[in-house]
Amino acid sequence: MIEVNNVTKRFGDFVALDGLNMHVERGAIYGLVGPNGAGKSTIIRHLSGVYKQDEGTVTIDGQPVYENEKLKQRFTVIPDEIFYFTQANTMDMMKFYKSMYPKFDEALFKKILACFPEINPKKMVRSLSKGMQKQVAFMLSIAARPELMILDEPVDGLDPVMRRQIWSLIMSDVAEHGLTVLVSSHNLRELEDVCDHVGIMNHGKLLIERSLDELQTSITKIQLAFEGDMPSLPPEVQVLKKITTGRVHTLIVKGEPRVAEQTISALNPLLMDVLPLTLEEIFIYELGGENYAVKDIIF
Amino acid sequence: MQSKTSFFNLALFKKNISRTWIVGLLYFIILLILIPIMLIMDLANFDQDIYGKGYTKTLLLLNHIAYIPTSMWGITIAIIVTAITFWYLFFKRDNYMMHSFPVSRKSLYFTGVISSITVTIVPVILIACITSIVAAVEKAYAFDAIWFWALTVCVSTLLFIGIAMFSLMASGQIVTSIVFYLIFNYLFLMMEVAFKIAAGILMFGMSDAMSTITYTPFTPVCFIGENCLVNVLESYDSMGNVKSFTYTLPGMKYLIIYAIVAVVFITVSYILYTHKKLETVQDFIAVPFLKPVFTIGMSFFISMVAGALVAGMIDALKLQYYNTRYAIAIVSTLIIGCIIFYATQMLIEKTFRVFSSKKFGFLIGYSLAAFAVLLCMRFDVFKVEDKVPAADDIAWVGIASDYTMVFSNPEDINSVRELHSNFLADKKELRDVNRLFDDVDGSIFTIKYKLKNGKLVNRTYSVVDTNSDKVSATYLAACEPIVDYLNNPTRIKEHVIGNIWDDCNVTSLQFSQYIYSEKDNDYFANFADFDDLKESEQIEKNNRIYAAFLKDIDDGNIFTTTFGDTYNNKELQKIQLFNDFSFTIKSDNTPYFSDEQAYWDWQNENEEPSYQQDIYAQLTTNCKHTLKALKDEGFYTEDSELVTNYEYNKVMGYDESEDAIYE
Repeated sequence: MIEVNNVTKRFGDFVALDGLNMHVERGAIYGLVGPNGAGKSTIIRHLSGVYKQDEGTVTIDGQPVYENEKLKQRFTVIPDEIFYFTQANTMDMMKFYKSMYPKFDEALFKKILACFPEINPKKMVRSLSKGMQKQVAFMLSIAARPELMILDEPVDGLDPVMRRQIWSLIMSDVAEHGLTVLVSSHNLRELEDVCDHVGIMNHGKLLIERSLDELQTSITKIQLAFEGDMPSLPPEVQVLKKITTGRVHTLIVKGEPRVAEQTISALNPLLMDVLPLTLEEIFIYELGGENYAVKDIIF
Repeated sequence: MQSKTSFFNLALFKKNISRTWIVGLLYFIILLILIPIMLIMDLANFDQDIYGKGYTKTLLLLNHIAYIPTSMWGITIAIIVTAITFWYLFFKRDNYMMHSFPVSRKSLYFTGVISSITVTIVPVILIACITSIVAAVEKAYAFDAIWFWALTVCVSTLLFIGIAMFSLMASGQIVTSIVFYLIFNYLFLMMEVAFKIAAGILMFGMSDAMSTITYTPFTPVCFIGENCLVNVLESYDSMGNVKSFTYTLPGMKYLIIYAIVAVVFITVSYILYTHKKLETVQDFIAVPFLKPVFTIGMSFFISMVAGALVAGMIDALKLQYYNTRYAIAIVSTLIIGCIIFYATQMLIEKTFRVFSSKKFGFLIGYSLAAFAVLLCMRFDVFKVEDKVPAADDIAWVGIASDYTMVFSNPEDINSVRELHSNFLADKKELRDVNRLFDDVDGSIFTIKYKLKNGKLVNRTYSVVDTNSDKVSATYLAACEPIVDYLNNPTRIKEHVIGNIWDDCNVTSLQFSQYIYSEKDNDYFANFADFDDLKESEQIEKNNRIYAAFLKDIDDGNIFTTTFGDTYNNKELQKIQLFNDFSFTIKSDNTPYFSDEQAYWDWQNENEEPSYQQDIYAQLTTNCKHTLKALKDEGFYTEDSELVTNYEYNKVMGYDESEDAIYE
């Protein structure tokens, strides 16, 4: 759905995006991760039609985004800092969104609003708490019935309860309507439970872009114990890292977990456990050989 | 494929109006009070006994409309409303959010402009409607004047909205945009002032350059206010009653031009908006091509004025030769220009790190250009100093020195032009006159050409006493012909006394006798009156003194010009009388033409012509004919009643300075 090809953006002498390539499939929940200053907000502003790239192309469903009014009616954007008109209350903003997005579902909006009784729809949105303002933004976005939702640090600064509420709003829409979501964060843990695709950015480039399934099936953590020394492993088992504590060996193995499990079983270990890796660990091991501050990105 | 987009978005329009309607309402209330309500109050109290016979309600309405400001309201309301409407452009959060909505820049821009126009112009239309209703009810029929006023305000507002839009697009900061708005509106005037300040300090004869500034169409806020408003012409009889009145609605062609210019500004601003990079929000200048223009403009004009002021200050502390003064100005201008150049770069780029070889090269290029401009001024490449207007272009020419004379006949105009050209031929020596003859009393004299197209050419020169034996032959050759021309007795009578000098009676005359009181150590003034005489006898008495006064003019004893300092000259104080002498001349047939009024443009076209004039003269002991006549006619009896300035100051213990004399 989203195609970003060789996009470069310069702010004076500073290169914010450096030949960036990014691809988001329809129906995916794509997490864009990177440290502050990596270029996440910059690419999101390109996808929102706010910035125009210096080089490359930014398309959604094959159409360029910049100044494309019709296309922009099909997706919504929730930036890190949300803007509401001065003096406008929730209902005023609802009317504005209704006039902007042809598929806006007023009944749905009212239904969602009813789920948040703490939000007074007649109170100026700007006077609501930050969390409530975000809730209103999500309500408006979801009621706009978009095909794509672009979220820039959507739950940054919110408490865990509020985060859960907001994610459940999005996930239910994804489940019901096949919504595509592009969400950025500077914290990988934030996205671990919700994304099915992840891209890691740094210095204006995408370091890695994978589906979660692909990642999870490409690296395995196996704990082993043998009676004596650990025998030599067959060459088809590609060990990325090995840690030995007493007689227990922990291996990070690249490749299909089932194949690695079968191969190692043939060595008759006393103990063999195949353990799940966290997304953080997968990325550390994937990028570990590269000269990147991976820990800074994901922790 | 990109979709076609609309230029108008109703939701945005409603949003914009919801934020600006309060300003429009306030504007409406102010206009309502100023125009229909004030008019209703004036009409309710309308009384011909107060206003004078012939003064009608229509005239009252016209005068009311004629004095309501036009462009000043437009320039204020336009920037307020457009700035509120396009507020989102100046804050990252608002800017990014607005542009991520499914709405094109075309829609955002034109909807914003249309809503701004609506808020600013609807109140004016409503006021014009209400005022028309009031006028109809009161039978004050001047609807065209009411609607002309409305048209003027609407067009000027449209123009200012165009300029405001350009300013808002030019910067990423709201405060800077408002500053740019003021700069753009007054740009031409400010450039002219900057040039004239520098020329006034540095160029020969240009010290009074600032006085010739007139509002041109390039400064619409000033020009519209003066040239596009209801012009009421009234004529009064001798009793102050209105004989007749008429009115004109001038400036329609300018309004059409301004409307076109407004559309151009709005279009150019739209193009800037479509190409605007939104990351420039908070930038000092958001449009790349304006950065060098702003840098060079700021550096050049500020440094030129500052450089000239530095030279002027040093000259005030110690008189410098013309070339030295110019060299100081050039060096100061170039140094200050460098400072302003880098300061501007720091403002634009929001960093102190602006020192690069590329910018240094740019600075060198700019400095060379500035240097070339200053050299052009120094060598008068554009013939500004040497300018003597063509005779056919001159409506009148005036010379102001000790006395003011205005000549409008071709013969005199040609004579003054020749004298002026002759004077300019020796300018190399004359521009250093104060430095060369610094111990000779000096003054200034001005030649002013009023051209037939309404423009003024004004030149002021420093000169020194032509009677001094310390001045050079070159100086005398340049100045003496002018002094001789001004001291011609007939010319003095015609231009200092006035055109009715030989067709008048002296209706009153005063001369103060001064009697010293030892007790009080002071002089007491006494004026002889002749109340026992009939009016005709008094006039005859005065006329006899006037005849003697004219003889003194013929002998060169009074109203003569020397180019010296008449106030601080000690020798002159010894013969100048402290006694006051004044008289009033009156003609039965000829209106008095005042050279002084014409020269300073004090004449009021609506005024009834005057047939009389008061004349004041500083007599000297050389005015033998006048003093004898005054004594013979009994205005004083003893010569001891004549006191010179020198004697007065000496007795009173005052210093012989100007301040002491006029204390």
